Amino acid sequence: MSLLQEEREIILSNEYVDSFDFAEVSEFVSNASKDLFISHHFAKREKMLVQPRGGFPTYQQQYALYEYFVDANVDVLPLTIDSNTRLNDYATAKKMLRLSEENDMDMLNGYPLVTHGYRTTRKMITHFDKPVSLRHGTPDARLLIETAIASGIFEIEGGPITYLLPYSKNFPLDKAFLYWKYVERVCANYSELNEPINRESFGPLTATLVPPSITIVIQLLEMLLSLEEGVKSFSVSFAQQGSMNQDIVTGAVLKKMAKHYAEDIDCGDAAINLVYHQWMGAFPTNQDFADQLINLSTVIASMVGADKIITKTRQEATGIPTKEANAKTVADTQYCLRILNGLPSVVDEEEEEMLTLQVKAIMEAVFNDPADTLWRKVFNSIKNGVIDVPFSPHIINQNEMITIRDAGKNIRIIERGNVPIPDRCYEYEKSQCDLSKDTTSIVNDIIHDIGIMQW
Amino acid sequence: MKVVTGVVGNDIHVVANRLIDLSLKARGYEVYNLGVNTHLEEFFDAVVETGAEVLMISSLNGEAEGWGREVKLLKSKYKNLDDVIMMIGGNLVVGSGNTEDIVARYKKYGFDLVCHQVDLNTGLDMLQSTIEERFPS
Repeated sequence: MSLLQEEREIILSNEYVDSFDFAEVSEFVSNASKDLFISHHFAKREKMLVQPRGGFPTYQQQYALYEYFVDANVDVLPLTIDSNTRLNDYATAKKMLRLSEENDMDMLNGYPLVTHGYRTTRKMITHFDKPVSLRHGTPDARLLIETAIASGIFEIEGGPITYLLPYSKNFPLDKAFLYWKYVERVCANYSELNEPINRESFGPLTATLVPPSITIVIQLLEMLLSLEEGVKSFSVSFAQQGSMNQDIVTGAVLKKMAKHYAEDIDCGDAAINLVYHQWMGAFPTNQDFADQLINLSTVIASMVGADKIITKTRQEATGIPTKEANAKTVADTQYCLRILNGLPSVVDEEEEEMLTLQVKAIMEAVFNDPADTLWRKVFNSIKNGVIDVPFSPHIINQNEMITIRDAGKNIRIIERGNVPIPDRCYEYEKSQCDLSKDTTSIVNDIIHDIGIMQW
Repeated sequence: MKVVTGVVGNDIHVVANRLIDLSLKARGYEVYNLGVNTHLEEFFDAVVETGAEVLMISSLNGEAEGWGREVKLLKSKYKNLDDVIMMIGGNLVVGSGNTEDIVARYKKYGFDLVCHQVDLNTGLDMLQSTIEERFPS
């Protein structure tokens, strides 16, 4: 028995798992409907796929949500997991699910997949016969993704960096790399049985003034960590940044670089997709304004040439959205995409060049780290600040980089910290901003720049 | 002047914490930022360890109310903390409340400066005045 299989048996002989039948699950994946695989839909390249967000505690609620989404002509269904399951606290998830079922009140902020189990959840997934995307935020997702794939969920979001740096203060990053290595291997192995399992990185990170160079570098690194374990279908992603031009430039550079680095490690045969998140920062409380923002995001996603868009709702500012509000965004977004025809092609060569130089310089510094494996190189680069994510709560993050918006609302680096931004690019970034102000005014600008969409 | 700061409790809201850090440094303070999800003991330990003159606690999700009650008891277990300026700011209650009542309550918990939903720079100006009173140069 391989070491991986030994580890899988340990992970799955958990008291909260109702006997996992490895052979039956392999057989299910082998014979599963092609329509359940998002990689199959991506390969057809017919349209930008529309995916909302959403997860409710009980089976009945989740089923009802999916019915609304299907009526709204959804392309990809989401399964958002509750926070207890994300933190591997299956006992609390179980208790809260019982309370939710008995009291007709939501005690969980998502679907406790491990608690429901794969036998139950699979009935729902195969009934709707749409691709489902697993949305979580789990540093140790080993049991969760085993349960997901066994349920018929063939897209797994996340990664050791993007699910840790925005969400955790002190979960050990080195452990996260090893736990995600397991996820990649399991996804790669199942991919041999039918269409590939798609992995997706979480590009929005902290959704707070993260400059495109940092976003792209982290997308590329999570992609490489996944491809080197044998994953054959991967989505890089980013969120609306505040400037249409910067989004178009970011999309173009991310696509080119992803192809370049995938070919560099002889993984050019893997399918690389681009995912765009509608605005992930603070939303306006005015719901009509929120609809306008959502619509604008859809237009930009089209300009960027995204393969999939992940939607928000008009209730974003007030809490977990109702299924009605959620389905409305799906219908609105589909309508907007249908009428968006004859888009112009916009290319900003100077900005693309500047961004490409930054990305290549940071990637080179990561590769030059003396460690023996890629994950250790990445780990060291985060630890020593070669990669620095603005507003990450994690203790390992350097927090030396400072970014603000220029007049065109582009995110610019005005303090690079230990990130090897080439001098020429650094001067260019700073020359776009008014740096004559004192720090107090700059802090006020940053507060305004974060909440740019609220007013 | 040394300041220990951080967000109390199981509160991951990091944005304001980073901005406080930047603003304090801009005003010339030596900052020891413990970041988010920080427990009271960690704050007091850091004050002892660094010899800080100011302890600035922030809270966004309102759980400071629960922690505030334990300040006096815990502080009495440490020596030489009497001269430390204790400041707290942010959203200091869950839901809404009358600011005067909230300030009075936190002063009773042992805080010298209480900034409930006060603008960051106004709060830092208040701190400066208190420092000038406490440590006249």
